Amino acid sequence: MNLTRDEIIEAVNGALVNEMELDPADLAPDKTFFEDLGLDSLDMVDLMIGLQRKFGISLRENEEIKQVRTLGDVYDFFEKNQAMLTAQAEAAKAAAQAAQSQPPKE
Amino acid sequence: MNGLKRVVITGSGIYSALGFTPGELFDNLAAGRSAIVRGGEEEDFLPTAPASRDPERFRVLPRTLRRAMAPSACFTAMAGLAAMRDSGLSQDELLALNAGCAVGSTMGSVSTLREGYSLVLSGQSDRLSPMHFFKCASHTTAFNLARTLGLNGAIYSPCSACASGLQSMGLGAALISAGQETVMFCGGADETGSEVSGSFALMYAHAPAEGDLAESSRPFSAHRKGLVCGEGAAVFCLEEYDHAVRRGAKIYGEIVGYSSNSGGNGLSQSDAPAIARCMADTCASAGIAPADIDYISAHATSTLQGDAAEAAAIREVFGSGVPVSSLKGHLGHTLGASGPLEMAAVFEMARHGILIPTRNLDEIDPACAGIDHVTELREKRIRIFFKNSFAFGGINASLICKLNV
Repeated sequence: MNLTRDEIIEAVNGALVNEMELDPADLAPDKTFFEDLGLDSLDMVDLMIGLQRKFGISLRENEEIKQVRTLGDVYDFFEKNQAMLTAQAEAAKAAAQAAQSQPPKE
Repeated sequence: MNGLKRVVITGSGIYSALGFTPGELFDNLAAGRSAIVRGGEEEDFLPTAPASRDPERFRVLPRTLRRAMAPSACFTAMAGLAAMRDSGLSQDELLALNAGCAVGSTMGSVSTLREGYSLVLSGQSDRLSPMHFFKCASHTTAFNLARTLGLNGAIYSPCSACASGLQSMGLGAALISAGQETVMFCGGADETGSEVSGSFALMYAHAPAEGDLAESSRPFSAHRKGLVCGEGAAVFCLEEYDHAVRRGAKIYGEIVGYSSNSGGNGLSQSDAPAIARCMADTCASAGIAPADIDYISAHATSTLQGDAAEAAAIREVFGSGVPVSSLKGHLGHTLGASGPLEMAAVFEMARHGILIPTRNLDEIDPACAGIDHVTELREKRIRIFFKNSFAFGGINASLICKLNV
């Protein structure tokens, strides 16, 4: 994951338009997810799962992403954390591969 | 029904492979059309009778509702909305009545179950949507219908495989009859998938993919080789009679009899004596003699043993004087939807004064003989009809509906 802010905006907005069926015209950075865009906590989980898949990262245990309120917060989060998220995902992948290559325990 | 209140049907809605309204379904049935085609990988390439899963059709449902719905619940919601519109009851009236629902299916949503365990078994459980549970829960058709119609009363979901729909009708009728409910939306729904059709195939109870597939489901025929799974939904608005009369509602008919039983040890085999007892009990609950029934809409799925057992039971209770047909040659076996969906077709038969014959019944199996099989379109006035639904696990359910009340 090594994206420009514009690419992040495109990916996040794409998920909101395709998955949440929102109008692209409504997707401004200051819009809040719950009040302005009408989403709820289950939608947010679905959105994050979609972004995990898109970016090849894991957000499940990330506390910061749970605090986002506006669309701009999400853009900022990915812009700021993409290197860390990528490293985490790669470390998790390597750990899983290492575990698979271990001989089974008696 | 032996309760305090009379129960009538004041709204009807369907979603089927042969039409999205009862009228359209009747026209296709009367034209002798079959919904059966070759299935894809998800049906193990067996014959199947799919209803449209085109997402565009379901866009009338708001995303906030649709996100929790698999095809089975979408079918139900579409049928339920049509039933509500047909009933003439507004959402405000339903709220004031604390209207409820009873809708069942075989196993929630087989397509969603498949998606879920594919992710879990490939180590990707963190990709499961939070909507997964709501799409495949055993009561998904019921609570999604309640959300769609804004119902604030009781939600029930009898999940008894192929008897789910008729048992839901019976449950709703019993609750209204007992004075506990005034309006209940009741029906059944199901979607196809190899988890269901494959189970029948393993038991040599599914028709093979050979020859003209439109002829693969052949209830009561000497040449039947098993059933074909179909999908869809039907929902009826059941209402307490006096309430319906007071508001001047259109009344399709009155549910005057219902019974459900089991043989006590059933797994997959039908039990003719238990079926006969169920049908006789249903007549008794209605106070109607078997000879007064004008038409029997049979369960008959095109299995070797099941059709013979039902025919034997009909022979015992009704003799050869009551016309009988099955719609599963046209629609396949729509599982949990079959009871209510086929009832919707019978109301149309009554409106037209025409009985739809059993499709592909060219040569009656001697084991299914001795009853009045309808083998071609037949003019007939239907005043009282009888509906059967049976299910794995030894479940039998029968219902009697009286028209022109």
